[in-house]
Amino acid sequence: MNSRTMRVTWALVRDTFREALARKIFWGFIGCSTLLILFFLFIMRVDVAEGAMATISLFGNTSRGEDVNRLVHQVHGAIAAFLYTAGMFLAVFASAGLIPSVFEPGRIELLLSKPVPRHHILLGRYLGNLAVIAANIFYLVIAIWLIFGIKTGVWTYGFLLSSVLTLYVFAVLLTVVILVAVFTESTVVATMVTFGIMLISPILAQQGVLDRLLSSQWSRSMVHGLYYALPKVFDLGAISRRLVLGDPMGSWMPLWSSAIFGLVVLATSLYAFERRNY
Amino acid sequence: MSCAIEAEGLVKIFRSRWSGKEVRAVDGISLRVERGSTFGLLGPNGAGKTTFVKLLLSAAHPTAGRATVFGRDSREPEARRPIGYLPENHRFPTYMTGHSMLDFYGALSGMDSASRRRRIPELLATVGLADWGNTRLGKYSKGMLQRVGLAQALMHAPALLVLDEPSDGVDPIGRRQIRDILQALEQQGATIFLNSHLLAEVELFCRDVAIIHRGKVALEGKVKDLTAGSGYRIEADNVPERLEQELRAKAMAVAQRNGNVEFLFGSREQANEALDLLRAERCEIEAVACTTSTLEDVFVKAIHEQ
Repeated sequence: MNSRTMRVTWALVRDTFREALARKIFWGFIGCSTLLILFFLFIMRVDVAEGAMATISLFGNTSRGEDVNRLVHQVHGAIAAFLYTAGMFLAVFASAGLIPSVFEPGRIELLLSKPVPRHHILLGRYLGNLAVIAANIFYLVIAIWLIFGIKTGVWTYGFLLSSVLTLYVFAVLLTVVILVAVFTESTVVATMVTFGIMLISPILAQQGVLDRLLSSQWSRSMVHGLYYALPKVFDLGAISRRLVLGDPMGSWMPLWSSAIFGLVVLATSLYAFERRNY
Repeated sequence: MSCAIEAEGLVKIFRSRWSGKEVRAVDGISLRVERGSTFGLLGPNGAGKTTFVKLLLSAAHPTAGRATVFGRDSREPEARRPIGYLPENHRFPTYMTGHSMLDFYGALSGMDSASRRRRIPELLATVGLADWGNTRLGKYSKGMLQRVGLAQALMHAPALLVLDEPSDGVDPIGRRQIRDILQALEQQGATIFLNSHLLAEVELFCRDVAIIHRGKVALEGKVKDLTAGSGYRIEADNVPERLEQELRAKAMAVAQRNGNVEFLFGSREQANEALDLLRAERCEIEAVACTTSTLEDVFVKAIHEQ
């Protein structure tokens, strides 16, 4: 990558950050994360006795002694689950507008008049959006990880890995936002379609149940097809949980099949963007 | 040496996704814009001016034909490096300040950060916004947005400026300021391509002009040639009726003005002959003038003739 390409990429990423900072929802996200961090930092007291047993004090109430490892894993698991579900919805909601806004008439023409290939504009924006969400996720996760690590002496790397996985799933879902935005230029439609994929994932993951419920082979095949074609948000959530709790991994299929989905959707978006008239 | 802009049989057809209906926004436009010239593109609303500009900038893809910018195919990103562009109905991000906006678009134009840091205060001062650099664009007036937009187009000292309605929403003083900036750029050798519906503005500033209508070039030429030599006006008093009838047969137009008769002749010979006849009859000559048509006359005629 030459210096000019780097400069353009950096400008696009920085612009996405600037736009995100101008939106209140970004600050809401940061505010919630900060409250959670402050809660664990000042309100919750963890006393570790003999390196193995811990008691938690909350607003003066002290819980019974717990295995410190189990306690840290439980809290990390709860935060990871929150980040993966509510956080993912918030992330899509907060950032969905950052892509369609580029296609606004009067703005896109000026961007396209610059000596920058179209795919570079879109990828720069995509990268910027990922960076915004990565900053949010890592701010919360690293702070919590440090607080618990320092307070208990337990350092669970699975928690850090789960945040990377959360970002990975967001990266896949963001390709859907881009594709819909390229075709419709609408934040609302882009958000709705992405939420739709997120919501259908847990249903499609229950294949055994669906097979029993569906009468025709055709409908069963369609459900199977959809399951394999769409990103496996639900299954990846299960992988995230296992990472935090340190449980053995099952199949890696949800990971690579979702990556293929993301790559295909991103390539389609870039192709469609190259061909569009503004 | 290659032209600044050269279009050959450029066609753009928009097809409706659902009905399949076709609109030929640009219908075989061929034109050349010489380096260092000031070129005005005129046309009524919906004539295809903005689509033509979009084809030049590769914001839209031609259905047929091709365009080059300084000899490079306009579809190549590098062809856009020497272009500074101010779009019509621009929507600059309101979260940016004047300074950050210039910095962003300067970076996209390939400028390094040191050049941008040097250039931004210079340009903000040039467009009269030196004290507004750190104010968000959301607080700018329409005229200020237009001026900061012009500064954006000038950031990388482009060899070709493409301006779509640059005076739109700008007050007369701001308009004058923009014209002065453009004149200074012209003297430095920049090519200026002005897309405007303000005929007086184009007439005042551009040397060459093309009028497009229904996607085709209706008329093209130098402003001076298109508006010059329209006729000769003679205003006289005490013209006998017999002579008036005789001159009326030769004149392009005759009108009564303040009790005088005004004749408009198409050639110098006719005007001289009429003057001889009028003086022979001892008529009082009130005025003799060479009349030129305005660009508006040329524009209306070109549109009606097509």
